[in-house]
Amino acid sequence: MTAPHLPAPEVQARPASTATFFCGEGLHKRFGGVQAVRDISLNVPRGSVFAIIGPNGAGKSTLLNLMSGLYQPDAGRMIFDGVELVGLPAHKRVRLGLARTFQKLRLFKQLSVLGNVIAASHIHHEIPAWQYVVHGAAFGRDHARCRAQAIKLLGFVGLERRASMRAASLAYGEQRMLELGRALATSPRLLMLDEPAAGLNAAEVELLLERIRLLRECGMTIIVVEHNMDLVMKISDRVLVMDYGQHLFAGTPAEVQANPSVIAAYLGAMT
Amino acid sequence: MSSEGHPALAVPPDRAWINRRGWFFVVAVIIAVLPLVFQDSYWRTNLIVCALNVMLAIGLDFILGYAGQLNLGHSAFYGIGAYASTLLIMKLGVPFWMAFVSAMALSSAAGMALSIFAVRLRGHYLAIASLGFAVIVHQVLLNWISLTQGPLGIYAIKPPPDIALPGVPVISFAGTGNMFYLVAGFALLFYLLLDQLVRSPIGEALTAIREDEVSAASFGINCTAWKVFAFGVGSALAGAAGAFYASFVGTLVPDAFIITESFTILAMVIVGGMGTLIGPVWGAILLTILPELLRGFGDLRLVLYGAALTLVVLFMPGGIVQAVQMLRARLGRLPIATHAGTRQ
Amino acid sequence: MLTVALQQGINGIVVGSLYVLVALGLTLIYGVLVQINFAHADVVTIGAFAAYFFTFVFGGNYLVSIGIALMVGAALGWLVNAAIFAPLRERGSELLPLIATIGVSILLQNAMLLWFGPIPYAFDSPYSNKVMRLWGGTFITWQNLIIILVSTLTIALLYAFMKFTFMGKALRAVAQDRETAGLMGINPNQLIMLTFVIASALAGMGGAMLGPILVLTPFAGTSVIVKAFAIVIIGGFGNVEGTIIAGLAVGLIESFTTQLVNPGLTDLVVFTLLLLMLAFRPTGLIAEKREENV
Repeated sequence: MTAPHLPAPEVQARPASTATFFCGEGLHKRFGGVQAVRDISLNVPRGSVFAIIGPNGAGKSTLLNLMSGLYQPDAGRMIFDGVELVGLPAHKRVRLGLARTFQKLRLFKQLSVLGNVIAASHIHHEIPAWQYVVHGAAFGRDHARCRAQAIKLLGFVGLERRASMRAASLAYGEQRMLELGRALATSPRLLMLDEPAAGLNAAEVELLLERIRLLRECGMTIIVVEHNMDLVMKISDRVLVMDYGQHLFAGTPAEVQANPSVIAAYLGAMT
Repeated sequence: MSSEGHPALAVPPDRAWINRRGWFFVVAVIIAVLPLVFQDSYWRTNLIVCALNVMLAIGLDFILGYAGQLNLGHSAFYGIGAYASTLLIMKLGVPFWMAFVSAMALSSAAGMALSIFAVRLRGHYLAIASLGFAVIVHQVLLNWISLTQGPLGIYAIKPPPDIALPGVPVISFAGTGNMFYLVAGFALLFYLLLDQLVRSPIGEALTAIREDEVSAASFGINCTAWKVFAFGVGSALAGAAGAFYASFVGTLVPDAFIITESFTILAMVIVGGMGTLIGPVWGAILLTILPELLRGFGDLRLVLYGAALTLVVLFMPGGIVQAVQMLRARLGRLPIATHAGTRQ
Repeated sequence: MLTVALQQGINGIVVGSLYVLVALGLTLIYGVLVQINFAHADVVTIGAFAAYFFTFVFGGNYLVSIGIALMVGAALGWLVNAAIFAPLRERGSELLPLIATIGVSILLQNAMLLWFGPIPYAFDSPYSNKVMRLWGGTFITWQNLIIILVSTLTIALLYAFMKFTFMGKALRAVAQDRETAGLMGINPNQLIMLTFVIASALAGMGGAMLGPILVLTPFAGTSVIVKAFAIVIIGGFGNVEGTIIAGLAVGLIESFTTQLVNPGLTDLVVFTLLLLMLAFRPTGLIAEKREENV
């Protein structure tokens, strides 16, 4: 499996202006009567894999949604490589280098696999406005470039042979990989995965693990919300444990595994 | 069936381009020949109405089928275009083509305003809002008597001015033949424009929005901006149709733009095939011409519309386009992907 | 002055309660199915015609014809659900059922046009001309009195049904979460059918009572449907209390606009109100939050 062609050099080589790549401070989010996220802070170093775990209902996905811009926090700040994220709509965060996958699959069902990835590369088009109306040379070049890049990405996630199939007809595990491929099409610097291993069998989880490793080797920073403890322990550098929307514990995987309050919160769900 | 999904996959670019040029040529020839085949004013009128409906239908499909926005108020943009151009010409003495462009701009602005207004509204709410908008526009046209003369209507609207080119006989649009060339020509032009847009990243963005907005936003697509864009383009086309309608029919009454008209255009889009560009063309042609052929059986036109719409939704939601594709599949031939949006 | 105001108030309540009858059907269907049934208005029209023919052609009693219209409406509701919504439910499209009902609506309206012709039918119920004097110099026709009584009774019964009976609660359960309701032994499909039948029965009844007030043509429904939608939105989709309040409010607004401003502008006022509502409070007067699950 070859490493994907990742972001253009200028994006990756941007010098770190702050020590932490992504940091959130005092994040709060309430829905009706439920405080989904209460006073959560986190620091994610550049190039690391950061996991967020916790029992069901702990607010993990909500936190991810706050980070990606689907919701705006009621209070708190988020800074991504020196840029304040609060108030910025989701689609603008993508241009800064944030990408995410969804827990509930949101593929474009009517499009082909390749079409899905090409659609995801929306921000990379370089076409003068008039060529949208009259397709000129630049249009053709851009089209070819995006297509080639998409095929490479499909190769990375192991779907190159499925390129022309309708997305809806893929097997579940393959659909999850397509989700990953689409997120990568935006050439992110920070990739957020929402339960990427949900519903995958052991072999598929291994493949996922391998891909996350490769991505990290290429310098990508990854935040993972996960239930699969095996995955989390093998791949993460740091783990944040949430419970009832609050910060329970943060540390290395080994520390998390040994911490009594974490164990209590999970009631033996961890092995 | 392997050739599906992104148009670029189905047919190599060169062959697609030749196919496209070929079709364009064929259509242009058909347009040129039609008024020669049908010399009587009755059928030529039908052809012109058909061309107007094509313009309306592809505009609506751009909004509904591509961007996925439930617009039930298309008649409002049609009416705004008709009245705006007419009033500009007759009350302010604006030359026809300038009024034409202004009418398109006004309809477009109205469409974009509705879209911005409805940007937070999903599905059904947008549908009702657009309906409400269409009712309001109709009521304004009906009641603002000092401006529109209300139900009495505006009469003696002139056709587009003659075109006098050196060395060529004067082209007059008073006759139905030249009027058809004008309207059909513009319809073809607009079709080509939309076709280019749809087969570009703009089309991809709209499709993404239609399929799943949250997902689209997570790829950097500014959903609001593109929805407004789609509305702006679709309603501009309706405005153009309105301007042509007024100058062709010669009289203008508000009741030409009641909400039933929105449903008629919707029927054409659905019956033809929503989400494709060629579908609405077929739908417009079928639903304009077929009822005329059945005129002998009484005014069954709208009954047909209703029946067609219901049956198509129930049994063949992809419309004529889907039927044709299924037929081709049965006959064992690959579908020729000359048109964007012909997915699955 | 006060007399005029009171009179308009009474007229407003009469019209309003009829709107409520029609709008309630729509909101019930939406609450359970999250679908808009465009053909609902035509059930109203058909109810009116059924009542007309029963009274004037068949020679039956007007009051009985209201019951007939109710049954015709119920039958139509059953038919529309069985033929359209049930088959389309599997496809899971938000758009298609709505469009199908638009098709049915066009079909019904124009079929009626062929059958009955465009000339309005003079539907004078035996009670249209009898008048009862009320306090303050106002008066009410017996027809309007019947309308208020029947509507109020029906709405009250429906409300009680929804709140207190098992069926009613089951209906609300299905509206909230169809899958879970199904798991709890409630058959959602049967309940949806029941909803349709009740909603359309209400519409048919409303038609029978509206007949004498409205201009009875095949397109009578259209004049009511968009207003009914406005009411449903203002009151909140699926919200019974909201619809009742909104319906009465719209009726009152209409009647006061007719008196104080200009009869031709009533639609304009109502729909501008609708758009304002959508702009600032799309979920209706009594907001109900439905968060999307990401």
